[in-house]
Amino acid sequence: MSLLRVRNLRVTFDTETGPVQAVRGVSFDLGRERLGIVGESGSGKTMTGRSMLRLIRPPGRIEADEMRFDGIDLMTATETQMRALRGPRMAMVMQDPKYSLNPVMKVGAQLMEGLRQRDRVGRTAAYAKAVTALNAVQIRDPERVMEAYPHELSGGMGQRVMIAMMLIPNPDLLIADEPTSALDVTVQAEVLSILDALVRDRGMGLIFISHDLRLVARFCDRVLVMYKGRVVEEVAARDLLNARHPYTQGLLNCLPRIGGNRGPLPGLDRNAEWAR
Amino acid sequence: MALIEIDNLSVTFDTSGRRVRAVQEVSIQVDAKASFGLVGESGSGKSTILRAICGLAPITGGQVRIAGEVVKSPRSKAFSAQVQMVFQDPYASLHPRHTIDRTLSEPLAIHGIPDTDARVMTALADVGLPTSFRFRYPHQLSGGQRQRVAIARALMLKPRILLLDEPTSALDASVQAEVLNLLARLRDERGLTFLMVSHDLAVIDHMCDRVLVMQHGRAVEELSRDALAGAQMQTDYARSLFAASADRMLEGS
Repeated sequence: MSLLRVRNLRVTFDTETGPVQAVRGVSFDLGRERLGIVGESGSGKTMTGRSMLRLIRPPGRIEADEMRFDGIDLMTATETQMRALRGPRMAMVMQDPKYSLNPVMKVGAQLMEGLRQRDRVGRTAAYAKAVTALNAVQIRDPERVMEAYPHELSGGMGQRVMIAMMLIPNPDLLIADEPTSALDVTVQAEVLSILDALVRDRGMGLIFISHDLRLVARFCDRVLVMYKGRVVEEVAARDLLNARHPYTQGLLNCLPRIGGNRGPLPGLDRNAEWAR
Repeated sequence: MALIEIDNLSVTFDTSGRRVRAVQEVSIQVDAKASFGLVGESGSGKSTILRAICGLAPITGGQVRIAGEVVKSPRSKAFSAQVQMVFQDPYASLHPRHTIDRTLSEPLAIHGIPDTDARVMTALADVGLPTSFRFRYPHQLSGGQRQRVAIARALMLKPRILLLDEPTSALDASVQAEVLNLLARLRDERGLTFLMVSHDLAVIDHMCDRVLVMQHGRAVEELSRDALAGAQMQTDYARSLFAASADRMLEGS
């Protein structure tokens, strides 16, 4: 049985100028594997990720024919049930550590908050768990980081702290929204190998959201390519170079390549039939 | 003589009793109309070099010369007419409460250049923005459009040198392609000299003739474009950076 099953997911925002559909009928299944969701900004990939956790505020509305996580119907679950799911069962790493960590709270306190409040873990035990989590994401001096405020950390460190925070409750499903976009290639490789090890060792399901198609292809098992709220193509990562859809090919070709010919990079043709 | 000459540049910050040596004795020479890239991880000092050139970071050792002249502190008007900078984050580098028109006219007003109206219109057209955008505010534009405005602003004084600090790393892949194409076109049309910072080796390879790899504020290795594409680096760090960019190679190579 799949871990997550989504059928005909729609996210609608009611605006002054009428309803705007950010996600228009997305369906997929996820096992204990790495699924990539790729698209440009505004393609609805983040909204798809947030819908899984029902983290869309009014005026946004989530509708779906079916959205089931490990047998639990997410569409009919009460808010209390959702709260119990978020964190221990399914977690999300947000895009930007600058906006997603509490700026006036020490990193250590933020890491321990969930353990202390939700799991009623004692102070010493919570501290030990937090340090272990920081070690797991390759932070070399966890004691210093525990005492630091978010602004004292670099982007890469902040991102790793957020991943550590999501991993403490050991979720079955992790949704990572552009977890590496703000990072350098070397740190990026590190964060990816951390996520990779977690999928392998803990048997976690991972949804990896990014606009970088090549990165996703290298890292994930399967890729959904989204455009304007729809999935335009689903490909196995190893077959990506044979992708047929012109949008997927556009995304592949618009990145400069080392040793490329330095001519103008091909842009995306947004006027074709499929773009409607 | 090179247009940009940086000799043994050091930048040291004193913060609350701690000395941070952001850049240590880095030397760079960039010829006129050439493009030079700086790569390295965050904290390697690559952006600090750009900031030191235009006076946003203190030069604590060494010298920066533009067209043979040592830069003065504070930087003169003549300096800003020659050297301009484009910053990484187009969301933070444009004044949120100034219209595009005001952002673009300000350098003209400071330098007493007439014909503001016509120049603003041309500048917008040059970076591929419709002239109807003129009286919009930054929040009404997308990231790519904002970066186009930032480039237009940098070009208002017709400088010879553009310092580009990660100009596309905040943008989507497809928008990045458009902005890189725009920069390459403007460089050819106007004979600009680029000094460009990026952590993406592929972007540097696409845009630059030579590249300097930096780590911990020091120069690690300077490479020509061919040496980069042919993976002929001498140092372990440059090689590891190259290896981490494996998904950026051309297929079949």
